[in-house]
Amino acid sequence: MIEDLKKTFLDELESVKSLADLSNLKVKYLGRKGIITAELKSLSSIPPDERPLHGKKINDIKQFIEEKLDSRESQLKKEELGRQLLSDSLDITLSGKFTTFGREHPINKILSEITDIFVRMGFSVEEGPEVELDYYNFEALNIPKDHPARDMQDTFYISDDIVLRTHTSPVQVRVMEKRKPPVRFIAPGKVYRCDADITHTPMFHQIEGLMVDKGITFSNLKGVLEAFLHRMFGADTPVRFRPSFFPFTEPSAEVDIGCILCNGAGCRVCKGSGWLEILGAGMVNPRVFENVGYDPEEYSGFAFGMGIERIAMLKYSIDDIRLFFENDIRFLRQF
Amino acid sequence: MRVPFEWLKEFIDIKDNADEVAHRLTMIGLEVEAVEHVDGDVVFEVNVTPNRPDCLNIIGIARELAAMYRTPLKFPEHDILAETGELDFNVDILDTELCHRYAGRIIRNIKICPSPDWLKNRLEKCNIRSINNIVDVTNYVLLELGHPLHAFDLSTIKGHLIRVGTPNTVKGQGATAKIKTLDGVEREVSEESLLIWDAERPIAIAGVMGGLETEVADSTVDIFIESAYFEPVSVRRTSKALGLKTESSYRFERGTDIKMLKKALDRTAYLMKEVAGGIVCGKIDIYTRRYMPEEISVRYEKVNEILGLRLTREEISRCLDGLGFEMEESADSLKIKPPAYRRDIKRESDLIEEVARIYGYDRIPAELPKATIGIDVQNSRLKTQGIKNNIKQALLRSGFTEVINYSFMGLHDIDALGIEAGDERRNLIQIKNPLKAEESFMRTTLIPSMIKNLLHNLSHGNRELKLFEIARVFISQKPEVRSRKSEEKTQTAFSLEPSAISLPAEREHLAAIYYKEKTKTLYRDDAHDFYIVKGLVEAILNDLKIYDYSFVRSPETFLHPGQSADIFIMDTKIGYMGALSPAIANSLDIKAHKPSVIVLEIDIDSIIPHGMQQVKYRPLPKYPYIERDTAIIVDSAIEASMLMKLLKSYPSDLIEDISIFDVYQGKNIPEGRKSIAFNVRYRASDRTLKDDEIDVLHNSLVNYILDKTKGQLRQ
Repeated sequence: MIEDLKKTFLDELESVKSLADLSNLKVKYLGRKGIITAELKSLSSIPPDERPLHGKKINDIKQFIEEKLDSRESQLKKEELGRQLLSDSLDITLSGKFTTFGREHPINKILSEITDIFVRMGFSVEEGPEVELDYYNFEALNIPKDHPARDMQDTFYISDDIVLRTHTSPVQVRVMEKRKPPVRFIAPGKVYRCDADITHTPMFHQIEGLMVDKGITFSNLKGVLEAFLHRMFGADTPVRFRPSFFPFTEPSAEVDIGCILCNGAGCRVCKGSGWLEILGAGMVNPRVFENVGYDPEEYSGFAFGMGIERIAMLKYSIDDIRLFFENDIRFLRQF
Repeated sequence: MRVPFEWLKEFIDIKDNADEVAHRLTMIGLEVEAVEHVDGDVVFEVNVTPNRPDCLNIIGIARELAAMYRTPLKFPEHDILAETGELDFNVDILDTELCHRYAGRIIRNIKICPSPDWLKNRLEKCNIRSINNIVDVTNYVLLELGHPLHAFDLSTIKGHLIRVGTPNTVKGQGATAKIKTLDGVEREVSEESLLIWDAERPIAIAGVMGGLETEVADSTVDIFIESAYFEPVSVRRTSKALGLKTESSYRFERGTDIKMLKKALDRTAYLMKEVAGGIVCGKIDIYTRRYMPEEISVRYEKVNEILGLRLTREEISRCLDGLGFEMEESADSLKIKPPAYRRDIKRESDLIEEVARIYGYDRIPAELPKATIGIDVQNSRLKTQGIKNNIKQALLRSGFTEVINYSFMGLHDIDALGIEAGDERRNLIQIKNPLKAEESFMRTTLIPSMIKNLLHNLSHGNRELKLFEIARVFISQKPEVRSRKSEEKTQTAFSLEPSAISLPAEREHLAAIYYKEKTKTLYRDDAHDFYIVKGLVEAILNDLKIYDYSFVRSPETFLHPGQSADIFIMDTKIGYMGALSPAIANSLDIKAHKPSVIVLEIDIDSIIPHGMQQVKYRPLPKYPYIERDTAIIVDSAIEASMLMKLLKSYPSDLIEDISIFDVYQGKNIPEGRKSIAFNVRYRASDRTLKDDEIDVLHNSLVNYILDKTKGQLRQ
């Protein structure tokens, strides 16, 4: 009879679909007027010697029912929570709340990239004024007034003695005046020339570099710049140095890399030569050392300079320099 | 400089083809920018650097190739065989400082006609237009030997006399001269410019351009050819002052070959006789200042020290041999006298470059320097660079895109902002030779550029813009005040009187502009644009560990008076922010409904001393906090900062933090009043607080505030 009870309970448990059903079932069996409670009460009506055995049977089944009810309850609760969470669900295909990071200007991006490479090689970063004395921009760099070399750079004048710096090279002089060798630094910044067309803007950016110590050679100049160019444009990029002229370096060199657009085959950008002029460099002219009070017999050094716009134009295949300063967001967001 | 290959080959035997020669020229410093094929010939476009006027001609380039190929150079025919007649003609150099040598020849009975084809063709390959046989020959010799020559119609020269002098010398101190030049322009030439005169008047501007009245014309029969050496600086000054640049001035100002000029004169006469007939008469050659080269030593050891090579004495002298130097060897050095056409060779370093050039830059190995490890500790800009970068990164992360504008502005930009006289932003730096009127001053504020950027982008249909720029502004300094930059300068080698010249103060500024059209969006964001930008400013300052800042109503005329603030760190104004004044915003033609444009400008340099202070750790609290919220109704004139100040002035050690979390005006609040709700967090450092203790304290705080603000509790 008790076995039948267990079977009946399990059948009924099977049909329970909700916590309310379960609660009813619990009352039916374990409530004050429940089946099991009734069974326990009826113990007193059976012979005393059979009571322990019968009592145990009832208690076993009571425990069985309690366990089944508990497990069913936790199962039902879990199902209910699941249903509830499902009704709280979002349309995860809607786009997120609009947040976009800003973009660094492509010129400054290239500038940081170059700066970073030289900083890793132990160069520090210096700055100088953009409105500069003629002395620092020209004379101290061995470009006297009335020298044809001044034609290389169309100058904006503020007064006879003050110009907008035409290159970052005056920073060389300013730093050397303040410090004793060894010096090793780069100087990024804005420079100005009165010129405007598809490849020239009246303002653009340069990075200057200078390394002065005992025993610095032209061979070192080649080593450092080659390392830089390989890092910047790839380890396989061909690099060539050819003689050139800057009044503040002697010997002077123009540095070319194999055209990154046609791989040296010759194209419109490299004017068919297979080479791209990328920077100017040279051994510091002893005259410049004399102007800053360094002894050219004791120290030697190299200097270099490069235009950032040109590098950015090559790297990103931009054909009009003016785009950099129009600040069209459709342009700026591409970088 | 255009160089026809066939012409080059007249002076030097070359086995290499044109492309190879172009490459070789480039690698010795004569960069071939283009190789052009013309009529079966090849023309090189050679970029000649300003230090090498000797290569502005065919023979000069041939000479370089001869030195590199180690092969002899042939010189063109110039001997005058039949020289007849006495010269009834005088040359007088009055300013020997400016004209070191003057030579001339008379050719009689010439016949002016078009040039023969060979002559025309060569000139045309070099982009020079053929005029007539006489002018063409002078141009031909200019291209061939690099020496400018000038032909006068002899019959127009008065008094059988050529004088070389400045108006100062010829006419007396302070006089100028008037002359109509070949191009038909009447020019006034300054007192210090060198001219060529006949007995009566100026007939040419020395080294720049001849006069119209003495020009060789179709009717010319007798000519006078001039071949002279004019001092480069003088020619350059004259050419610049007149704004007149010619093939001739270009070469004279870079320096011509004083020794070559006689050969050039003879070569000209030789060719003229050939193409125009005539009788070549004797020559005049007045050579007052002889070329005296200084001896320069180049030490073998120094060559290797600078180049990083181990060249032997022989290798070094072999490099220099062929460049036309007079050389004398000694045990440790070479003693060298450069020829007259190499006035760029002045000292040892110039000769080291010559060695490197001829040896070949590509043969010098690339080797990284052995340098001492060092880290920069002296750089005063280090902190500035760090802070600048912090600010930039913060803006980028906040969705602001970086722009770069020209450092220029126009006067109207400042006027449009209504910036008044006496304001520092009117201490302008003016450019003497700007490209455009609107680019004739250096910026003293970045705001006009930001507004232009906004307008440009709005016109392309952008509905939201967040832009920023970090750049310098330039504030002119009063002459008696020495600028920051000029103070840094040491006295070494500075020839000018430093206090007489004052550079502007260059200050690093941050500017930003924020504009958002009120369009329907998926998610709501109700904060006023002003608070969005203000929040950004606060976040940036906090990130720099700056907490002692405040926002005070701004008097800036171009900002909305009710929606703008000056930003202070302690007592220092570092910038301002706010909505553009409606007057300006309306003039900008922004189509959107209720345009609200927020701008921000901060002087980064004035933040530097406050930023990035050493962080000191504060222990974390051990005991829990208790919070109380209260809303009060006060006069609507009372602003948040005032209430905060009052709350903070209440004397209690237990107040840890106070914040305002709601401000409300409208329904249920009387007219002219507003409700402000604030939260106070209490905590003790040594015990757990009890509720009833805080009830008492908070009550007393609220009463204190109500008393001070004449407010009442909001129920």
